[in-house]
Amino acid sequence: MIKIEGLTIRLKTFEFSDFNLAIEKGEFHFLLGPTGSGKTLILESIVGLHRPRKGKIWIDGKEVQGLPPEKREVSYVPQDLALFPHLNVWENIIYGVKARGLQLKDYDSYIGDLISITKIEALLERYPARLSGGEKKRVALLRALASKPKLLILDEPLTGLDPSIKFEIQQLLKTLHSSFQPTILCVSHDFEEAYLLADRITVFIDGKVQQVGTKEEIFLKPSSNKVAQFLGLRNLYPVSSMAKDPDQRRWLLGVNGLLFSVPMVPDQREGEKWNLFIRPEEVMILREGKPVKESLKRNIFEGEIVDFMDRGRYNLVHFQSQEGNLLFEIHIPNYAFRNLDLWKGKKVRVALREESFWIIPH
Amino acid sequence: MGFRHTLIGVALFIFLFYFGLILSLFYFMGGKGFWHAWVNPYTLYSIRLSLVAATIATFLAIFIALPSAYALSRFEFIGKNVVDTILEIPMILSPIALGAAFLIFFNTPMGKLIQEKGIYFVFEIPGVILAQFATVAGLATRLMKASLDEISPRYEAVARSLGSSPWKTFYRITLPLSYKGLLASGILCWAKAVGEFGATVTLAGAMPGKTETMPIAIFTALASANIEKAVILIFILLLIGIGTLYSVRFIGKGYRYD
Repeated sequence: MIKIEGLTIRLKTFEFSDFNLAIEKGEFHFLLGPTGSGKTLILESIVGLHRPRKGKIWIDGKEVQGLPPEKREVSYVPQDLALFPHLNVWENIIYGVKARGLQLKDYDSYIGDLISITKIEALLERYPARLSGGEKKRVALLRALASKPKLLILDEPLTGLDPSIKFEIQQLLKTLHSSFQPTILCVSHDFEEAYLLADRITVFIDGKVQQVGTKEEIFLKPSSNKVAQFLGLRNLYPVSSMAKDPDQRRWLLGVNGLLFSVPMVPDQREGEKWNLFIRPEEVMILREGKPVKESLKRNIFEGEIVDFMDRGRYNLVHFQSQEGNLLFEIHIPNYAFRNLDLWKGKKVRVALREESFWIIPH
Repeated sequence: MGFRHTLIGVALFIFLFYFGLILSLFYFMGGKGFWHAWVNPYTLYSIRLSLVAATIATFLAIFIALPSAYALSRFEFIGKNVVDTILEIPMILSPIALGAAFLIFFNTPMGKLIQEKGIYFVFEIPGVILAQFATVAGLATRLMKASLDEISPRYEAVARSLGSSPWKTFYRITLPLSYKGLLASGILCWAKAVGEFGATVTLAGAMPGKTETMPIAIFTALASANIEKAVILIFILLLIGIGTLYSVRFIGKGYRYD
């Protein structure tokens, strides 16, 4: 298990303080944050390239913040990979095994498995200058894993790759993780990457941890406006009025004159400022003549289709409510979109499912 | 005349300027005096002394310059800027002033102690090596730092994370990646040491058969109107210079790991 408590780093150009993190053994953990938020600095501090002012780092119960990088058993794959250009692929791969003074014969079958999973059998004699971008990534991952580190650190492993190579490396990371269960800490600014690969995610913005949770928790229940905005979430509206529903188990939230009936959550109190987040995937456009479920009847709004566009995997529809002129972004699966027969200006009714709401402190 | 032709014309003029200068040396080549000067033991001694002293001075300079250059390239420390500036002094200070500074130093109590209890430098062969070392050590550090700056510290960071100690990382990663630049720096420094005159003549004097290096021998040959000897030595220095430039270019060519 990896544990970081109160880590404080101060450099000439950047600083952050009191950073905490816990990663379970075998977990694929993402440190997610915007570019320039200091994520790489955290990684480099865990590797041992920066000495912290304060704080402690434990790797498998051993305190390591005072140890040099070579004593930490943390392998590091930087964004530029840094494959050693004067060593061929095989020499690159076994560098860590040799440097740690381990017996190569003890690692033969493990490295053989890694080579076969990463499909680089034919590349072992080549020098890095003769490898493609995807091949370099695979070799760098293999080099980092070869000596069985206690923690594998990846800095933006999918940034700057062509979509096809990106997909290939994503799959490879999944396979490597499921096959060998290494503990991985990966830095990224891309939520989609994290969503596909992470067991858990730490969202790090403005030098502070904003939220830690599973990918579903982060995506469906962002803890703050900052997190929601960073994730690029649409349909975020400031709540202008807040009242309890007569049955006392729901809030009636006013936004631009529209009233939303939202399930009550214990943390939320009247009088505080809140934002209402409506998940675009959970908004339904109702088809005329079709019966509507009882649970949907609380939040039905009339309006018209303002615009729509095909986004490949789904269709993005802009809906404007008749009352309050509130603009919603709605994501509709392609098959549903075809059945709806929508056009610009078409009058429709939308229904919001219970799952579509999330209330965030303002 | 167009822009392109004007600039090429200027470049050709510079070439002809130096080429004409070299060509003029041939006027004094050949003849009995010329061959006599060739086999003169003092001429051969000055050639040998220059090459040997420059080699020792260069090795000493590299021994000091490589760790200094690495420190300046990789680490932040108090006084780094001052150290960096001081290293450039031999490059901007007149070599005669540098030699004079050594003469003055060896007349201080500490300088006298070093000479009495250690090695005699003033008007001695070690003085030749010291003068050449002082002239090239700063340059060697500067050139080697430039070579090391080109190697991303990321390689070292990754090697360390893979379990390599700092020394092993330097030996197995930094050195092989920068050896071309370091070798070229060494060759350039050696050539500069061979051609060093001002500091050497001031500190070690111009004693034929003792401290007379090639550049000093050219000076004394001209002073005694021995043009043939001067021409021979100028040619040798010229060959060393051209050889150096070509070897540096050759080292820089190609990429070994393709």
